[in-house]
Amino acid sequence: MTELLLQSLYSGALVGGIYALIALGLSLAFGTMRIINLAHGELVLLAAYVAYTVESRLGVNPLVALPIALVVVCACAAIVYFLVARLTRYRELNSLMLTFALGVILTNAMLMIWSSDIRSTGNATLQDAVQIGSVYSMVSELLFFVLSLAVAALLGWWLSRSWYGRAVRAVSSNRDAAKLMGINPARVELVSFLVAGVLATIAGVAIYSSSVISPPLGHALTVKAFIITVLAGVGSVPGVLLAALLLGITEAMTVTLFSSALQELAGMVLFLLVLFVMPNGLFGASRRRG
Amino acid sequence: MKKLWIAAIALLYLVVPFALQGNSYVLSLTVSALIVAGVAVAWALLGNLGGMVSFGHAAFFGIGAYASALLTLKAGWPVLLALPVAGLCAVVASLVMLPALRLSGPYFALAILAYAHIFRILATELTSVTNGSAGLSSVPRLPTLFGSEALTAITPYLLALTLVLAFCWVYARVRSSDYGIALRAMHDSEDATRVVGVNSVLLKSWMLLLSAFMTGMIGALNVHVINFLDPDYAFNGSWSVLPIVAAIFGGYRTVGGPMIGAVVIYMVDQLVFKSMLSSGHQIILGAVLAAMILCAPDGLLSVFRKRAKEARHAEA
Repeated sequence: MTELLLQSLYSGALVGGIYALIALGLSLAFGTMRIINLAHGELVLLAAYVAYTVESRLGVNPLVALPIALVVVCACAAIVYFLVARLTRYRELNSLMLTFALGVILTNAMLMIWSSDIRSTGNATLQDAVQIGSVYSMVSELLFFVLSLAVAALLGWWLSRSWYGRAVRAVSSNRDAAKLMGINPARVELVSFLVAGVLATIAGVAIYSSSVISPPLGHALTVKAFIITVLAGVGSVPGVLLAALLLGITEAMTVTLFSSALQELAGMVLFLLVLFVMPNGLFGASRRRG
Repeated sequence: MKKLWIAAIALLYLVVPFALQGNSYVLSLTVSALIVAGVAVAWALLGNLGGMVSFGHAAFFGIGAYASALLTLKAGWPVLLALPVAGLCAVVASLVMLPALRLSGPYFALAILAYAHIFRILATELTSVTNGSAGLSSVPRLPTLFGSEALTAITPYLLALTLVLAFCWVYARVRSSDYGIALRAMHDSEDATRVVGVNSVLLKSWMLLLSAFMTGMIGALNVHVINFLDPDYAFNGSWSVLPIVAAIFGGYRTVGGPMIGAVVIYMVDQLVFKSMLSSGHQIILGAVLAAMILCAPDGLLSVFRKRAKEARHAEA
């Protein structure tokens, strides 16, 4: 039993690394524009499907698809940004419905292009088993977990050291003041969407390499990313990372201890509990939502 | 204006059902369109007056459906009594969501989505009560109105129409009441409205309960029309998506908009898009929603009204 628990702890943490990339993208765009991009999970899935196409057409490692997926997903992220930026009145409500609609469009477009069949990678190297101590994982899971941590660290460095990263934080904390300091908020918002697109691409290729994909997954990923941002509270990179690991582990534990049908329920219950009991998140600053 | 309304209602009750009686396919589509219209009005009430976007109205819809199906199947209640009680069950379920009202915007929208997921999973897992994913079959039909055999075919239509019109009436009354004014003031500045002594959380709660009641009742009516129920159908995401598209299309800040929008969107979707695209016809719903939000967020009804006003000004 202990070994089983240890195994699910480990597997959950590995999945959590990928969740973290998705959630970081979502919260970046939320920070600068104050909108939740409900099409974010669909962007992740789009990258996964691009990887599938590249692998099945060219017969190469799905990792090779990264640059192509990057172009496709960032283009879509930019389109989402330009559409959302056109909204003027009741922006909070309208942006929700607009990005929701874009998510519906993307999901159904993927359904039409790639059909509703479940896809997964056929690459043998990525699917090999690795053993660490008494726990197992696939090569791809471990590889992308390490990559996720590296990307998260890079993002943290970018946000605190680079000019654009600082501008993103400035616009997030006070848009008007940032404008007075000579920052072009519109451009910074676009940059935040593009960076979110980059994170989504890596996460998408990771999900395709280590798990299975089908069109409804995009929506589920959006919800998971949102749950993580709520758990983490108003954003710091380590907070999001911890919350993502927590969600991954909770899900894996639920599957091991109860049943796989309850996997999503666990995330939802965790989300509602934190939302009602600790509305500032587990690691959030004392700022009121709303 | 009033004469126009009376004429339209007379048309809907006296002419339309008998015109459709021959074509049972179109008649059943019309009933489904009215069911969507009912949810759309309930959604618009919460969206416009409560100022909250809900992606989880499927939760109330499914709870109403299950409550009514179980009451009539297992407890042997008459259908017409089970309908309002099913609405009340949805209200009870929405009480659990009251804490979510402290949250605004995206938090509320996603919290209610989470609720819908939870109820769906519960309906699937509680097999002893709901029969799990196998579902409930042979749910009792609606009784024949006035004991007249001639009305059997159009009874679902008449009941659905009556419910939806009643919802519209309630929506109009609430909107023009003092509460409606307070709620609309809250849109512009919630803090300022609180300062002048409006209990905003209480008002929003009432809107949520009312919206849940309406959705639960219409979900219950639907289950007696189709006589079958399973969790994937009852809590299907399309019960959340279609009403949103319909309400936005028609104009959710108007009383008639959601209803007209639902009938137009549903009919066009079923008759045109579904035959054009075998899979993924919802892409058009998404496109319609996105286009409406970008170009005419107040809905087509408001656009027409604005046009008419401009034309009148031009004449004068």
